[in-house]
Amino acid sequence: MARERQRVAVGSSRDFAAGEMHLIELGGREIGVIRLHSGELRAVMNRCPHKGAPICRGIVGGAWDSSGPGEIVFDNSRDVLVCPWHGFEFDLGTGRETFWKRPASLRMYPVEESEGEVFVTI
Amino acid sequence: MATLEDATKTAVNMDRSVKLRIFDCDVHPVPKQGLSSLEPYLPKAWQERFARKRAMHDGLNVPIRFRHPNGSVVRQDARTPDGGPAASSPEFLVRDLLDTHGIEGALLNCFDAGGLLSAQASTEESIVLASAYNRYFVEEWLSVDRRLKYAPAVPTQDPVSSAAEIRRVGKHPQVAAIFIPLVNVLMGHRYYWPIYEACEELALPVYVHVTGIESIFSGTPTLAMGTADSYIERYAAVPQVGMASVASLILSGTLEKFPKLKFMFAEYGFLWVASLFYRLDRTWRGLRHEVPWVRKPPSEYLHERFLFTTQPCDEPDDPRELETLISMLGHDVLCFSTDYPHWDNDMPAGTLQMLPPAARQAVFYANAARTLRL
Repeated sequence: MARERQRVAVGSSRDFAAGEMHLIELGGREIGVIRLHSGELRAVMNRCPHKGAPICRGIVGGAWDSSGPGEIVFDNSRDVLVCPWHGFEFDLGTGRETFWKRPASLRMYPVEESEGEVFVTI
Repeated sequence: MATLEDATKTAVNMDRSVKLRIFDCDVHPVPKQGLSSLEPYLPKAWQERFARKRAMHDGLNVPIRFRHPNGSVVRQDARTPDGGPAASSPEFLVRDLLDTHGIEGALLNCFDAGGLLSAQASTEESIVLASAYNRYFVEEWLSVDRRLKYAPAVPTQDPVSSAAEIRRVGKHPQVAAIFIPLVNVLMGHRYYWPIYEACEELALPVYVHVTGIESIFSGTPTLAMGTADSYIERYAAVPQVGMASVASLILSGTLEKFPKLKFMFAEYGFLWVASLFYRLDRTWRGLRHEVPWVRKPPSEYLHERFLFTTQPCDEPDDPRELETLISMLGHDVLCFSTDYPHWDNDMPAGTLQMLPPAARQAVFYANAARTLRL
């Protein structure tokens, strides 16, 4: 029998500033909740699909690009999560790994705001 | 003059059912009488200079510890009929190598020139010697047989002069690549960019080959952990140069800077390539932002931009193990080479017989044909 989904309040909307990862425990799972620069929220299982590392404890930052050797550009508006173990990078917008030919994906949970509260569904 | 077509007609059928086309990516001609043969191709003042220095020797002078244990790296049985050094006669080389083994074309590169130009001659000497070597081989070898292709050596100690030499000699229709005798600068460094620019301009791949003097003379590529104690030890360590060079070319962004440039690595081995790229791919996957100009996984550059010659071919007891290792690497990154007339040469009939027919055709001919300017 499929487990019943639960919608759980995890905090006040004003506590979730853009770019700050909040670790919460829900139903025995660690989940990171973060507000993107666009204002949207994301809820991510705290487990890297590569080797199981606690990925939500990694760097939350932007993305680097280049037009050629020695030229670097930093785009802080991109929401990228960097695993603290091997450095694999994931786009928090899509949950997909960046820059890999067969990208892995983060386990994402539905997250929404209602009347000043943040809710995650597991 | 014999042509590629003539050679194809007489090619040895190695597969019994499908004619195997063979191109040899590593053959070492020598001037018939050492540097003395270059005299007509040197300005008069430089002839006098080299004569007074008594520089007209016949080969590389290396310390005793690194001399070949049997006295020479060159096959004694490959001497020319008139007693000249092996590979000093284009006519005999064509008969002894191409006709005998059903090889339809060969890429010539002068091993001795590599050592002289990279370190043993001064920068100024290397510039005039490179030009003399290249004029000599174009004039006295390429005119003999159109199956002979040539990788002119450049005076790497001066990249700007190297580029000028490439533009001077590179338009010859039998020039198929440019031989860069490496100095102790990683291949992705901007130092080489004038050379790469000229190669790309002329649609010529870069050809690098062991020079035989790595870690012996100052200025040559340094091997890890100090001075080896024997010829064998140096021989086994030389792949380090290939490994460092490939990583440097990719991570520096040089391959993005020169998007059409291809590279052929001769005699550095090839089984290390799979291991290197597993490591490069995984590390790039995690730390890509350190080198954001590397725009795709390193292994994608491998298959688009690199070829590695097969000689000296590793020989596990069970040939099937070699087939497995090569399949991990990909059949599209190897090209057949003999290294004639050196002691450790590999002839077609005894090389990679275990590969499936399509893979053999790729390795023995097609990969070289799509990379060299034939």
